[in-house]
Amino acid sequence: MSAESIVASPKRRRRDEVRHIAWLWLGLTILLVLFSIWVPARLMGPPASPTMRAVESTMTVFSIAASPVAALVWAIAIYSLFRWKSRGEPTEDGPPFRGNGPVTASWAIVSSVLCVFLLIWGLAEMTSTTSPAEASNPLVVNVTGQQWVWTFSYPDQGDVESDQLYLPLNRPVVFHVSSRDVIHSFWVVQMGIKVDANPGVTTKTSVTPDKLGVFDIRCAELCGLRHADMETSAHVVNPADFAAWITQNGGHT
Amino acid sequence: MTAALVDQPVEPVSTAGGMLRRLNLVTAIAGGLILGLAGWLISHSLLQDDDLGSDQVVLVTLSCWAAGFMIGIGALNGPIGWALGRDLRHEDELFLAGKDQGVARYFRFTTDHKVVGIQYLVVTMVLFAFGGTLAMLIRTNLISPHSHFLNPQTYNAIVGLHGLIMIIATIIMVTGPFGNFIMPIMIGARDMAFPRLNALSLWLIVAAIPTILSAAVLGGIPTGWVGYAPLADQAPPGMDAYSVFIIIFAVSSAVAGANITTTVLTMRARGMSWNRTPIFVYGTVASVGLAIPAFPLFMASQVLLQVDRTQGGQFFVASGGGSPWLYSNLFWLMGHPEVYVILIPALAALMELTPVFSRRPLFSFNAAVISIAGIVGLSIMVWAHHMYASGWAPDLNGPFMLTTEMISVPTGLLFLVILGTVWRGRIWTTVPMMATYAMLWNFIIGGITGIYLSDVPADYALHGSMFVTAHFHYTLMGAGLTGAIGALAYWFPKMTGRMLNERAGYISFWFVQIGFNVTFLGMFAVGLAGQPRRVVTYAQLFAAGNFVSTIGAYSIGIGMLVLLYAVINSWLHGQVAPANPWGAKTLEWTVPNPIPLENFEVLPVVTSDAYGYGEEDEPASGIDPEREPVLAGASADLGPRPVGASNVEGGP
Ligand SMILES: [Cu+2]
Repeated sequence: MSAESIVASPKRRRRDEVRHIAWLWLGLTILLVLFSIWVPARLMGPPASPTMRAVESTMTVFSIAASPVAALVWAIAIYSLFRWKSRGEPTEDGPPFRGNGPVTASWAIVSSVLCVFLLIWGLAEMTSTTSPAEASNPLVVNVTGQQWVWTFSYPDQGDVESDQLYLPLNRPVVFHVSSRDVIHSFWVVQMGIKVDANPGVTTKTSVTPDKLGVFDIRCAELCGLRHADMETSAHVVNPADFAAWITQNGGHT
Repeated sequence: MTAALVDQPVEPVSTAGGMLRRLNLVTAIAGGLILGLAGWLISHSLLQDDDLGSDQVVLVTLSCWAAGFMIGIGALNGPIGWALGRDLRHEDELFLAGKDQGVARYFRFTTDHKVVGIQYLVVTMVLFAFGGTLAMLIRTNLISPHSHFLNPQTYNAIVGLHGLIMIIATIIMVTGPFGNFIMPIMIGARDMAFPRLNALSLWLIVAAIPTILSAAVLGGIPTGWVGYAPLADQAPPGMDAYSVFIIIFAVSSAVAGANITTTVLTMRARGMSWNRTPIFVYGTVASVGLAIPAFPLFMASQVLLQVDRTQGGQFFVASGGGSPWLYSNLFWLMGHPEVYVILIPALAALMELTPVFSRRPLFSFNAAVISIAGIVGLSIMVWAHHMYASGWAPDLNGPFMLTTEMISVPTGLLFLVILGTVWRGRIWTTVPMMATYAMLWNFIIGGITGIYLSDVPADYALHGSMFVTAHFHYTLMGAGLTGAIGALAYWFPKMTGRMLNERAGYISFWFVQIGFNVTFLGMFAVGLAGQPRRVVTYAQLFAAGNFVSTIGAYSIGIGMLVLLYAVINSWLHGQVAPANPWGAKTLEWTVPNPIPLENFEVLPVVTSDAYGYGEEDEPASGIDPEREPVLAGASADLGPRPVGASNVEGGP
C-alpha cells in the first residue's frame, strides 16, 4: 500500500469503481427515499378514510422499498455512461466475463424477497381495509350508475334517494353498486374506494369515512359521451346532521 | 431447406410469376373497392335497409373490401393454383421473391423476407404517424380544463382510435420490421420457413389499415381501445370497423407467429445450438409465440360482439342473460400477454445491441433466456389484475396479485443482464446505445408504478385514473418504443445500406426522451390527485399537471418529426454504410450491402455465440491481467474465432 504509483493498479482501480458506484447508489437512494416520503402520498391529498390512509402508506412504503433498486440501476447506468464511455468507436474490447453466479443469485434472491414482502403487505392491507366495515352494523347505500349520473338510495332509511351522497362520520358504509346501462365505475376519490357499476349485477365496496367534508365522486370507466361530467359529491357529516338530512328527505332513521 | 433451390442460377423468364406479374397495390385497392362496393350494394338491398351505414352493411362492406384487397394483391393465386394442381416453378418463386423488380417489389405480394421487413417498417411508421397525430390532438384538448378544442364525441372517438392504432403499431414495431428483415439473416437462413405466409401476414395488415381508418368517419371508437361491452353495443359503426380490423389482425398475427416460430425452430444455421442463438431471436419467438394463443381470444370477443351488434345476440348484454365480464375476461386474456408481446422483443433488441456498444459479452445469457421464458409463462396468468375493481371475482384478487408481483422477478433479471453487460465495458454512446440507457431510466419508473397497481387496495384507488395511463406509457412507450427506435437506429445501415444521420438521431432522442418524461411524470401527478382517464374536461385542480403534460407531448412530437426526417433523408441520401459499421458479431453483419436475394451465397456454420467480445485478445490495455476465477472460464468451450470472419467458418 505504501508504493502508490501514478497509475493505479487494475485491481485498485476496480475497487475504486465499485466504491464510487456504491456512493452514487447511496446518494441516489437517499434522494429517492426523501422523494418517496414527501411526494406520492402528498399528491394523493389528505385521506378521508382509513382505507385511503392505508393506500397512501402503501404508496410511501413501496416507494421506499423500490428506492434502492431504482438507485442501483441508475447508479450503474449513470456511472457507466460517464466513466466507462469510450470516445467514439472503441478500439478495444471490455473484459470478457460472461456472468457472475453469486451476483445473479443474490439479485434473484433479493428481488424474490422484495416480491414476497410486497405480497404479504398487500394481503395484510386487503384484510385491514375490507373487514371492519363488514363486521359491524353498517349503513347500506345503493349506488346506481346511469349515463351520466349517480343515484344514491338508503334502503334502511325509507328509500331516501339523492344525487349527492351523504354519509355520517365514522359509521361503516357498504355500497351496493349497479348500473342501468353500461359499465361505470364508482370512485370516491379521497376515500380510496372504487368498484365498477355493472348492468345486471350488484358489486360491493365498503369504507368508514373518518373526516368531515365534501369529497369527490367520479366515474372511472369510460361510459359514453359525457363520461367526464359524471361526477358528484360525497358529504361526510355528523351523525345528527345525517339523521336530520334523512328526515328532511322523507326518510326515517 | 430453400438452400437446395438456389445452387443453379436461372435466367429470368418473361412468364415467371404468371398472373402475379400484373398484380400490385393498385390492383389490390381496385379489387378491394370493387368487392367492397359490391358487398355494400348487395347487403344494402338484401337487408332492405334505409340506413346506408347500418352495422350489418358496414360489416359486410368492410369484410368484402378486405377480401377484394387480398384477391387483388394476389394472395389467393398460390392456393388456387395449388388446388388446380399447378405448383410454382422455380422462376415463379424467384419472381415472387421480387427478383429484378426494383422498387416495384415493395408494392407486390413479394415473399423475400427483406422486402416484407421493409414493408412492415413503413406500415409501422404510417401507423405511428397517424396514432401520434391523434395523441397531439388529445393533448391539445387537455391543455386546459375546458379547452373546447374537441367536442366530447370527437374526443372519445379519437381516444379509442389513438389507443388501438398505437397498440397495433407497437405490437408489430419490432417483430414486423426486424423480426422479418433481420432475424432470418441473424440465424443464417435464406428466407423464412413459409415465405408466402410472410407476405400474407403483411398484406393482411395493409388490407386491415383502411378498415380501422374508416372508423374515423364511421363515428370512431368511443369505447377506448378496450371496446368494453355493453358500451360497444351502443357504439356507432366505427365499432364494426374495429371488429373487422381485430379479426383480420388476429389472422395476420397467427400466420406471422407460426411462420417466425417455425423458421427459428427449423432453419437456424448449422452449429447454431440454442446457447448460440442470439437473444433477439429468443425475444422474437417469445413475442410471436405469446401472440399465438392471445389474439384468437380477442378475435373471439369481436365475433361475439358482432353477433350481439348485428344478429341480435346477447353474449354481453346482461338483460338478455349475457355478461359484460365475459367480454372483459376475453379481452384481458389477450390484453396482458399482449403487453409482453410488445415489450419482450423491444427489450431483446436492446439486449442484442448492448453487448455491441459495450464491447462486452452479454452478461448471463442463461438468465436472459430464463427471464424471457419466465415472463412469458407468468404473463398468461395475470390478466385479472386489470379487473380488480370490476367486481368480477374479488376472491381471486389475492392470487392475481401474487402472479402479477412475481413477474417483477424475471423482469428484474433483465435489468441485471443489461447492467452486467455495460459493467466495465467500452461504452460507445451511439443513438441505439442511448436507447438502452433511456430504457433503463423509463422502464424502472414503468416497473415500479406497475407494482403499486398490482397491489389490490392501491389499485382500487388508482384504477381508471391517469396514473394508469402514465404507467403503461412508461412501459410500452418509454421501454417498448424506445427499444424499437434503438433497434431501428442499430439495424438501419443493414436494412437501407446507409447510416442513419447521427446528429438528427441525437436531437430526436433528446426531444423525445425529455418530452416523454415531462409528459408522463405530469400525468402521474394528476393521476395520483384523482383525474380519471379518457375525460374530455377535468377539474381545475389538475390544470397545472395537464398543461405540463401537453408541453411535453409537443416536445415528443417535434422529436418524432426529426426522427421521421432523419429516416427519410438518410434512407435517400445518407452516408453509405459499410457491411458491419458497429463491429457486431451476429450473422446479419457478415452479409454485404446490398444484401443478395437469398442472403448467403454459402450458408454459414456457426461455431460460437455472437458475444465473444474481448475473448481472443491479449490483455494489452493493462486492465485485464488479473481475471477473478469467478469471471473466467466462460469462453473455454467456444472454439476458435476467425478474426474478421466473425462466426462464419465456411460452407458445407
Ligand atoms: Cu360512467
